[in-house]
Amino acid sequence: MLEKMAKYSNAEEWADIVPIPQDDGPGQPLAAIAYSDDYVEAMSYLRAVMANNEMSERALHLTEDIIRMNPAHYTVWLYRSRILFATSSSLPAEITWLNTIALKYQKNYQIWHHRHTIVDALNSCTGEQDFLSQMFELDMKNYHVWSYRQWLVKRFDLWEGKGELEAVESILERDVRNNSAWNHRWYLVFGRGESCFEDKERVRREVDYAKEAIHLAPQNQSPWNYIRGLIRQTKGPAALSLASFKQFASEFASLDDPDNVTSSHALDLLAEILAEREGDAADAAKALDLLAKKYDPIRENYWKYRKSLLVGQGGVKAAA
Amino acid sequence: MALVSGPGRGGSGGGHTLPEELHLYIDKHVHYIQTLDTRKDEYEYWLTEHLRLNGLYWGLTALHLLGRPDVLKREEVLDFVFSCMHEDGGFGAAPGHDAHMLYTASAVQILATLDAFGDLETRVCGGRMRIGQFIASLQDRKTGTIHGDKYGEPDTRFIACAFMALSLLCLLPIINVPLSIRYIQSCANPDGGYGSSPGAESHSGQIFACLSALSIANALRTVNTDRLAGWLSERQITSGPGVGGLNGRPEKKEDVCYSWWVLSSLAMLSRRHWVDGEALKRFILSCQDEVNGGISDRPGDMVDVFHTVFGVAGLSLLGYEGLEEVDPVYCMPRSITRRILGK
Ligand SMILES: [Zn+2]
Repeated sequence: MLEKMAKYSNAEEWADIVPIPQDDGPGQPLAAIAYSDDYVEAMSYLRAVMANNEMSERALHLTEDIIRMNPAHYTVWLYRSRILFATSSSLPAEITWLNTIALKYQKNYQIWHHRHTIVDALNSCTGEQDFLSQMFELDMKNYHVWSYRQWLVKRFDLWEGKGELEAVESILERDVRNNSAWNHRWYLVFGRGESCFEDKERVRREVDYAKEAIHLAPQNQSPWNYIRGLIRQTKGPAALSLASFKQFASEFASLDDPDNVTSSHALDLLAEILAEREGDAADAAKALDLLAKKYDPIRENYWKYRKSLLVGQGGVKAAA
Repeated sequence: MALVSGPGRGGSGGGHTLPEELHLYIDKHVHYIQTLDTRKDEYEYWLTEHLRLNGLYWGLTALHLLGRPDVLKREEVLDFVFSCMHEDGGFGAAPGHDAHMLYTASAVQILATLDAFGDLETRVCGGRMRIGQFIASLQDRKTGTIHGDKYGEPDTRFIACAFMALSLLCLLPIINVPLSIRYIQSCANPDGGYGSSPGAESHSGQIFACLSALSIANALRTVNTDRLAGWLSERQITSGPGVGGLNGRPEKKEDVCYSWWVLSSLAMLSRRHWVDGEALKRFILSCQDEVNGGISDRPGDMVDVFHTVFGVAGLSLLGYEGLEEVDPVYCMPRSITRRILGK
């Protein structure tokens, strides 16, 4: 196999290194493998330089070569970041390189952990938002990217006036059903502390925003969840009552017109509102029956459970 | 255990139509897992080296649930597991890979499944305590979170890994359990779910991890059960080609692995019946490659051992006949967790 190797074994720069071949542990015979010779060779040199804990430019290039072939190899990433810091390499250059890798290997999370380490050390998030927009062009729900974005917001104080809310809104304009964007919005608006839930102006703006989104797509569960979150968590002067949404829910689900419900989420909310008042328990049961039989029958058991709470609790208690 | 995907595809992707009456092709799946390690001539075998110890856990668990616990040779499995162990008590994905929480948990789960804690002490002096100390060293004493490795990177998944491994080793008290529980609570979202860190979007995989840790610590009372179980039951796809399958987040595609995470979470909350079990069963069965064995994420895609174990585990949780009972907290055979935990 060794004679097939070329890139490293023929290079002057690597002449002093004795490559260490694969040893897949005791009991695992070294199979005669026909897989990529380039990868085999690069890995055998990696083992050798790692064994010496070599911190050098050439080792950095070697990790780059391996990452290009196999970005999921987490040990290579850790070794690479140690070299970067030990050799005081250019961190902006690292970010530029990282951009190409991240765009190519979207599902990989090591890339994001590495980016986090580098940007933290750089102490600057210049260009990060633009790059994240590029990432979102490929996949607007990438969990690693959103998690990284939250970290950026907190680390660099991007809560307000730094383009974050605008970025979220532009994503929601394109896809109002993007739950990740809704989550990020919540994080931006309320993530800084409990006092945000007492800010009347802020809460009113959020209610309006969610309502508008529901008008665009009534069966989209994200804004309905958003409204429920608001009802539960707002307090003080900004507190919202469940009952105050009765009219809004009725726009999409009316018991007087049970054949024309346009949102099962509206019907669900209506049931919860009705369950609050003992006198409305029979109507709440009607709404829950509609969900179980007509609008969301796959979850029949869940709706039955909700109904059982009505009866069991004397008709006054709704499901949480 | 190789993580090579394919060669076959699940369901109708194989070019043949599925029969009306679906059933589980137990022997085919056993054969599929058994032959994974003979595929070393494929490039992908080597590219997935960073998952090898996880893969071994997935394959071994699937075989146990399929009622064929002796297919893999015990000594060979143990040899490989110990070859991944580091001085500090952590395990890497394969020899020469850095130690990480994910692989350490898989290693302990394999040792537990093979009743090999005795072998651990014989082969590694003070092995049990060494593993425990490795895990304890990854707990952040301020926030309670657990890092994946010594370089940082916290994630609620690692708390589950730590709790699973430590409880199996009967060492849970060596970390600050209440602090980690508080951290998990700080990851709860208004929709009732949990994400990877405080504020992160609710995600079925992370929810499984949080509930697993809370179950082990006997702290499920901190969960808003009805709200979370309601959200989880909304993960079932109600129409279209993926009907019956479960997704990981709103508006995402159904997937066999998410089906397991959602279903096991509901089971931990005693709300398994809030999804349509028959529809889910049909979805999982339709993801099988009925010729060469293996299960894919959804019909038409390549099969792999990861989706094979979670498909089988999901069917087990649904009470599918002929399968060993699975423990929803550990994703291990229930008979084994019962033997170790005594409950
Ligand atoms: Zn999957």
